[in-house]
Amino acid sequence: MTPLEIFALAVFIFTYALIISERIHRTVAAMAGGSLVLLANIVPWEKVPLYLDLDTILLLAGMMIIVNTTRLSGLFEYIAIKTAKLAKGDPIRVLLLFSVVTALISAFLDNVTTVLLLTPMLIYISRLMEVTPLPFLLSEIFASNIGGMATLIGDPPNIMIGSAAGLSFSEFLLNMGPIAFLDLILMVFVVYLAYRGTLKVSPEKKERILRTLNNLDERSAIRDLALFRKSIVTIALVVFFFFVHDKLEIEPAVVALFGASLLLFWSRENPEGILEKVEWATLFFFGGLFLIVGGLVETGFIEQIAQWITSFVHNEGEAVLVIAWFSAFASAIIDNIPFTATMIPLIKAMGGSLNTYPLWWALSLGACLGGNGTAIGASANVVVIGIAAREDIRITFMDFLKIGMLIMVLTVGAGVGILWLRYVWW
Amino acid sequence: MGLYSSFIGRKFKHIAGKKYEDIIKHYREFLLTEEERQIPEINSILMPLDRYVKNVPTEVYETISAYEANILLVYILDSQIFELVRQTLSPEASEEFKRREEMIGEELLNTVAKKLESYGLKVQRRMFFGNKSDDVIRMAENYDMLAISKNYGSEITKTSPISPLVLKIIQHLEIPVIVY
Repeated sequence: MTPLEIFALAVFIFTYALIISERIHRTVAAMAGGSLVLLANIVPWEKVPLYLDLDTILLLAGMMIIVNTTRLSGLFEYIAIKTAKLAKGDPIRVLLLFSVVTALISAFLDNVTTVLLLTPMLIYISRLMEVTPLPFLLSEIFASNIGGMATLIGDPPNIMIGSAAGLSFSEFLLNMGPIAFLDLILMVFVVYLAYRGTLKVSPEKKERILRTLNNLDERSAIRDLALFRKSIVTIALVVFFFFVHDKLEIEPAVVALFGASLLLFWSRENPEGILEKVEWATLFFFGGLFLIVGGLVETGFIEQIAQWITSFVHNEGEAVLVIAWFSAFASAIIDNIPFTATMIPLIKAMGGSLNTYPLWWALSLGACLGGNGTAIGASANVVVIGIAAREDIRITFMDFLKIGMLIMVLTVGAGVGILWLRYVWW
Repeated sequence: MGLYSSFIGRKFKHIAGKKYEDIIKHYREFLLTEEERQIPEINSILMPLDRYVKNVPTEVYETISAYEANILLVYILDSQIFELVRQTLSPEASEEFKRREEMIGEELLNTVAKKLESYGLKVQRRMFFGNKSDDVIRMAENYDMLAISKNYGSEITKTSPISPLVLKIIQHLEIPVIVY
């Protein structure tokens, strides 16, 4: 190994260690690592735009603007109340409906915002039913990670994979959608089996819950009716353009930016206020990571690892298995964003000897569903557990691990099975 | 705090930050609190009246009638005022003032009691000399609800839309209060 390779690897390992420890903000860690790589001239300045992956960063920025503007209208709280009313105070219906709604919203918006908006309602309704909120909160976490896997824009790893491999929204939906659907059913069934003893309320109690729920007026959640309508129209339009972006030959980032501009223009909301709410820290985190991984690519380290892996992996079938399971277990421990950022150049480098098309799906599967394995596996997990702790609901690491690992193994297993059938067997 | 809890706390702060506070603030605007969800059992209602309570709105009768509770109408004459009149004017003037006040009180008690009885409620009446705020606070301890006019104890103005006596009373009570 050359001194430059050792330095790039040291920066990479040190940054990862800082991100995992969470001692300092992950963005600061990534920015510091990225700056070191630039200072040492491992990534030359002229190659920075190449490594920064503007497709991913601008797509995320566009979606953040849409979500933050829409949030002002009260649309998400409206959906939460509607769902609670539809569940009619029945714990099993609450489990099922909130899982489906969470998965659906997570498929199109970011998982953290989805769970931030739905968790208070879930805690409220479980208190109303006087049952433990644990199964509802856990299924919400699992559903958000499963739903996020279904589309190109559902989870940051998918955005990164889509941008790197040039995969379209429809391709993601066709390949990952059926897996997400099957996994969602599987997950709800497992959570139901694990907690079926607690998912009961007496008919009298149900009547009282229904009375309270009926007193909730979903319209009172709407803060701005005009913005509420404009947000729905814009989101529908953006989703439509995502479906046809490959046929129109426009990048997904352009669709998101168009949607963001349209909503800002139409709603006349103060752009400064909205842009303040954009998660710049996340965008800079991505930027820093791309540069750190770029350093490993520049030094040839990634190429060497890819060659080493391909000496053991002989065909796509084996590669799908290795990538999916390795990604799942790795993402259960470390943040799936830096993990995916590292795996992308690795899979690209494997392209010389293998067809990488099924490997991207295996990476998406493992990176998105691996988050279900442990309490710290994904941002959505931390957010729900954090909110629960503030409401005096304790979800221990072991509570989560026992069911999370089972869900992760079952859902990744089912997904690998489908990928195997589709790309290896046939 | 354990290692896991502090790790989750730190990570939560990094990810969710102020966003969660904004969301929970919005939810609080339309979700009922646990206290608000409890439907109190109301079997007895205390309804203080005085010379400043000119009339009781129909909505109050209708609301109170929904509880099917026993009602005590109490008309309190301020003993300090009569003492002041006696000292500054004469004992005869004080007696005359007292007689007139009692007449107003009787009339108001009769009118309100009749109206409440027309809704099928059981009503008791009392009139006595005392302290308009302290006596209500003391008596309310034995009742499930208080129904009080915002005029009770003093005239109200545009700048002071609720009597200071009413404010004092409701600050000292833990039972539900209807202020009309």
